[in-house]
Amino acid sequence: MKKVFPLLFSIALLSLFSVSCDVIEDPFKGGTVDTTTTTQQQRNVLIEDFTGHRCKNCPKASKKIEELEAAFGDRIIGLAIHAGPGNFTNTTADYPTDFTTAEGKQIQNFFGTNFLPVGMVNRENWTASGNAHWSVYDNWPTLSAEAMDSTLRVALNVEARLEGSTLTVTTEALPQMQLLHDLRYVVLVKESGIVSPQLLPDDTRDPDYVHMNVLRAFVTDHWGETLGTSPMVAGDVLNDSKTMSWNSDWVKDSSAVVVYAFHPDNYRILQVVEVSID
Amino acid sequence: MNKFSLSLLAVLVGFTAVAQSQETFGGQLHGNFQLDGQLYLRDEAIDPSGEFFPDERFLGQGYANFVYTQGDFSGGLRYENYQNVMLGFPEGYRGEGITYRYLQFKQDNLDVTVGSFYEQFGSGMVFRSYEERGLGYDNAMDGVRVKANPTKGLYLKGVLGRQRFYFEKSPGIVRGLDAEYNLTEFMPKLDSLGYRWTIGGSFLSKYQRGNDPFLVLPENVATGGIRTQFTKGPWAVQAEYAYKANDPSSDNGYIYKDGNGIIVNLTYSKNGLGLIAGAKRIDNMSFRSDRNGSTIDMLINYLSPTTQVHTYALPALYQYATQINGEEGIQLEANYKIKRKTKLGGKYGTLISANYSVVQSIDKQFVDPSNDTLRTLQGYTSDPLARGDIPYFHDFNFKVSRKVNKRFKYTATYLNLFYNRSVLEDGLGDEAIQVNPSNQKLLNANILVFEGLYKIKSKHYLRGEAQSLRTQDDRGSMAMMLLEYSVAPHWFFSVQDIYNYGNPDADQRLHYPLASVIYTAGTSRFQLSYGRQQRGIFCVGGVCRVVPPSNGVSFSLTTSF
Repeated sequence: MKKVFPLLFSIALLSLFSVSCDVIEDPFKGGTVDTTTTTQQQRNVLIEDFTGHRCKNCPKASKKIEELEAAFGDRIIGLAIHAGPGNFTNTTADYPTDFTTAEGKQIQNFFGTNFLPVGMVNRENWTASGNAHWSVYDNWPTLSAEAMDSTLRVALNVEARLEGSTLTVTTEALPQMQLLHDLRYVVLVKESGIVSPQLLPDDTRDPDYVHMNVLRAFVTDHWGETLGTSPMVAGDVLNDSKTMSWNSDWVKDSSAVVVYAFHPDNYRILQVVEVSID
Repeated sequence: MNKFSLSLLAVLVGFTAVAQSQETFGGQLHGNFQLDGQLYLRDEAIDPSGEFFPDERFLGQGYANFVYTQGDFSGGLRYENYQNVMLGFPEGYRGEGITYRYLQFKQDNLDVTVGSFYEQFGSGMVFRSYEERGLGYDNAMDGVRVKANPTKGLYLKGVLGRQRFYFEKSPGIVRGLDAEYNLTEFMPKLDSLGYRWTIGGSFLSKYQRGNDPFLVLPENVATGGIRTQFTKGPWAVQAEYAYKANDPSSDNGYIYKDGNGIIVNLTYSKNGLGLIAGAKRIDNMSFRSDRNGSTIDMLINYLSPTTQVHTYALPALYQYATQINGEEGIQLEANYKIKRKTKLGGKYGTLISANYSVVQSIDKQFVDPSNDTLRTLQGYTSDPLARGDIPYFHDFNFKVSRKVNKRFKYTATYLNLFYNRSVLEDGLGDEAIQVNPSNQKLLNANILVFEGLYKIKSKHYLRGEAQSLRTQDDRGSMAMMLLEYSVAPHWFFSVQDIYNYGNPDADQRLHYPLASVIYTAGTSRFQLSYGRQQRGIFCVGGVCRVVPPSNGVSFSLTTSF
């Protein structure tokens, strides 16, 4: 027995040595981003980026969304939610713009975090007592790639039109398979290109920082409204239309409407689309 | 004794009655239980907007451990609940469940554990799985552990499993081996000459799937270490070196540079004199079972600090935390007990100690991405013999402890602290500081602490502390007074107040009072407190967590059997 133990240990050590380290000489993948185009809708990705203008690491998260948008185009949809804690999002003389919304705070409280920057990618992996739905920005490329590779369960066609001060959003949902759960959806307005101060990673203040994807308001209730009831099958067509009063402070050409459909039990976002406002 | 005290006593007596180890099926059943809760009160002075005031108003959390042993077999479990987690703890603790369960048996020089376990290789630079309940830290392994002692002096350990991530598991798999050889056991002649010598080595690898659209991620990342410990008479030396292969992660900004670390400690102890000299250098040694993990989540290794941990309230406000991306430092400590019945030592002797520790950045020459023509993503280069130029922390303290007579003894302490708030609170990286060093937020402070313990009569003790922290930086100067009165073995009363009289914001020159009463009966303890907690911020690896201010009534109940 005394001789067998070191022998077995040596074998175990050697096998661990032999399989357990990948040394990477060339870290970059070459031309692996799929640039093929298709007319068929694919599953898109909503990245809810919880952020704050006094959170110095938050611009890194915004930059990560920009990188993903550059690589995957309109399949990546960013949404910057300024929700708190207050020492990151409250206004001061140096940071005078209030980007917060009551609905954003409620969403943050429900999903439960005080970290910044942190986000959710299609709200995957939510459980009532879990934490796996939260991810840091460095993980968004991996999670986005996995979400984009997954099967589309419902397609969305959306049109947004501003007439006078009324925004009208019409949504058509097309189940791609049998859905044995209800379908809820959310319509919201976001605005980009807002110039306002931001604290930067080097602890300096950029007075001319350009804020992107800022959540402005929800057209539906922020916990969604019913779009379809179980069961639904491929070939069904679900339609709905919502209106809201346009806030004249928002710049129409820099704004967009985001619509997402989700599973009401686990909040998983099945599809999301972003459209400009006509 | 009023109605409340009687009720409290009844509850505790009830607990005490069951607080005995249980004989079950021929074995022993042991356990312990803790329940903490706080009723939060709205306090506009410390939280003007109510940002941190919890909607629940009352938050409570607790746990219970049960361990059954019979001969060479043992098994146990821990139930935890958070409804909801109390302010200041990681928000990942949401809900309830059995978070730790295991079975263990020993046979034929083997010690096998299946399920949850804690384990450590050497000092922990390669692997340490442990729990620090006060911080909400728990990276318990869930898997299999085998320990073996195949021959005299040789100790082997093997681990395989995944780490705890609140109520879930880490995405990465951890597998490792450790061997330690006690040469003194193997060569009795060493023992007869007064030598003690052990050598050891570890190897550990983690596997995590990589699916990044831009980067080729190493899915298997290995680390290894060697160590030795040598003792002769009053002298002892400990040294450990660890190496880690490329491990791009959130902590290091997804660079592919390898990491390494070295710790050396030398100690001397004889005739009332104790000397400690330690040195440490770590470079890119963050190691987690999730490359995207942050703060205190899923750390595989443990990088021990080479600074003194202070328990007094004001020095503890500016405690050093190891910078896992890189740091170097030294610690020197001397303790001497002046003999009793001498002029300096007094009737009972006097203990004096001095400690100096300093930590700074390591040398880092950052590679401009535009000049990284080979696109290796190495991030920076570092000369291990060159000193870093960003000071992180220093602490010089001097302490005198003396028993004056049979009733009274005291400890007087002076501390001089330097604390780089940009690094230690805001998580600012070395690169950002190198670009703009004048932007650092630094703190220099001088602290005096006087602690006295007076025995009033048999079983009646009075303990007091007076502390003064003087600084022009951060929240400014503070003073603190504390008085504790204990009647052994049951009652304990405490009142304290921290006054932030030097706060640069006049509206924040606040008092932070805290009053507590503790009742102990057998192995059970009940604590009731009322007070106000200062706010703070805790950052690791660029992600920050707010430790919010609070005000309220809290209680804690612990018992064991």
